Amino acid sequence: MNAIAHHALPHSTTLPCGALEVRGLSKAYRIEGQPLPVLDNINLKVRPGEFISIVGASGCGKSTLLRLIVGLEGDYQGDILLDGKPVVGTSLERGIVFQDHRLFPWMTLSKNIALALKNHPLSQVEKDRLVAEHIALVNLEGFENAYPHQLSGGMAQRAAIARALINRPKVLLLDEPLGALDALTRVRLQHELQRIWVQQRCTVIMVTHDIEEALYLGDRVIVMDAHPGRIKHQIQVNLPHPRDRSSPVLQGYKEQLLEELVGH
Amino acid sequence: MPPLLGKSRGLLLPLLLIGGWEYLSRQDAAGAYAFVPLSTIGQALLELLGNGELLVNLLASLARTSTGLALGIVFGVALGVLMALSSVANRLIGPLFHSIRQVPMLGWIPLIAMWFGNGEFSKVLIVTLAAFYPMVLNTYQGFRHVEGRYREVGQVLVLSRWQQFCHVLLPAALPSLATGVLHALAFAWVTAVGSELFLSSGAGLGNLMMNAEAGARMEIIVLSVLCIGLCGYLMTLLFTLLSRHLLRWRNIR
Repeated sequence: MNAIAHHALPHSTTLPCGALEVRGLSKAYRIEGQPLPVLDNINLKVRPGEFISIVGASGCGKSTLLRLIVGLEGDYQGDILLDGKPVVGTSLERGIVFQDHRLFPWMTLSKNIALALKNHPLSQVEKDRLVAEHIALVNLEGFENAYPHQLSGGMAQRAAIARALINRPKVLLLDEPLGALDALTRVRLQHELQRIWVQQRCTVIMVTHDIEEALYLGDRVIVMDAHPGRIKHQIQVNLPHPRDRSSPVLQGYKEQLLEELVGH
Repeated sequence: MPPLLGKSRGLLLPLLLIGGWEYLSRQDAAGAYAFVPLSTIGQALLELLGNGELLVNLLASLARTSTGLALGIVFGVALGVLMALSSVANRLIGPLFHSIRQVPMLGWIPLIAMWFGNGEFSKVLIVTLAAFYPMVLNTYQGFRHVEGRYREVGQVLVLSRWQQFCHVLLPAALPSLATGVLHALAFAWVTAVGSELFLSSGAGLGNLMMNAEAGARMEIIVLSVLCIGLCGYLMTLLFTLLSRHLLRWRNIR
């Protein structure tokens, strides 16, 4: 799969997939000189093209884990390896979507997405084609010249997803990407995310508060515990994509997960 | 409310003032001296328009203001950016800048006159300084308060320092820069006329006033004051419209 992905296939069919390995990862912040551990000995192996969901109480360091992988934070113990190579700083190989869409308010939607291609050695024509293609991928045709404040929350978040995907990242990190949306938009976007991922098959790690979302999208659900953040439990979701939200298999997993999270 | 009525509300107070002015001018001889009748002001306007004096002086003041403003903006933005992006520069220059800033513009005039004489250079220098201060302060604020979440996006997209400056920091600081220019514009105009009053050589609305005072032409003084006020207002209006266009991406709801 990897070998195929690294060759020049038409852009929208397959993304290059990355194998991510986290080994013995620990991270502590310093609060008034005192070390405050946020992550403690995290070990995680993600197969290329796998969709991982991470759930857990607030303060369990799930967002910190993503920020470490994407390279926005450093100063940790342990290893973070992408395809066997340690990650250093940020890179276009690792994309992220934040909970707040973080589109630049001073740029139109298409300019926002095109900015991600700023350092690509592609011709302008190629870049324009890619931008148009990704706007179509997230169903935002017709809004190319809209400013972010003219978009709804769901539309802005879809644009942010397009911006993260356009660089063909090996790993896509989703930090509660649907957390700020209303329930209906959320369900719709979960469906979209699944469609996009089935189409692109890149490695995805998604942090979420929503158990149903985690199970609906994830090949594997990781349950994290807080203070300090550590992996408590994992569930393999053996159900092919695309999935049916109301599947009884998912219901079964949900009860199992709830048991694990609420804990008895 | 009909748009025309809404827009003309701003005219109500000036019209009342003019009415009061005319009333006072008709009371007695002292009143007519202090409050020149409108008809006399009108005659002076026609006279000055006819011999070109008003235009020459107005243009001289405007040229001085725009030159000083442009220089003040360029240097102000440069220093503001430097202080915001380099903590070394900020610690080095900050204390000096903030102490010099405390000296009122009028306080500089004697010193500048002694150093550079009372010619055009001194006047433009004063205007430049007046525009420079608010520009530095607002640029610094704007660049300092760029939200971390936007900087992070630049980092994730692996933008170079220059790209980060052009596509993230500068546009994020633009509203603050616009505020700076608006303040700089007001200060520049006021100090341009002020410098003409103190350094009385060459043309300018301030000079027109000084000459009128020497010749006891009250109506010309009043006319100059009106002209100064109106021009300042128009410049501010023009720039407000321009910045509204440049910052149209902002959510004003």
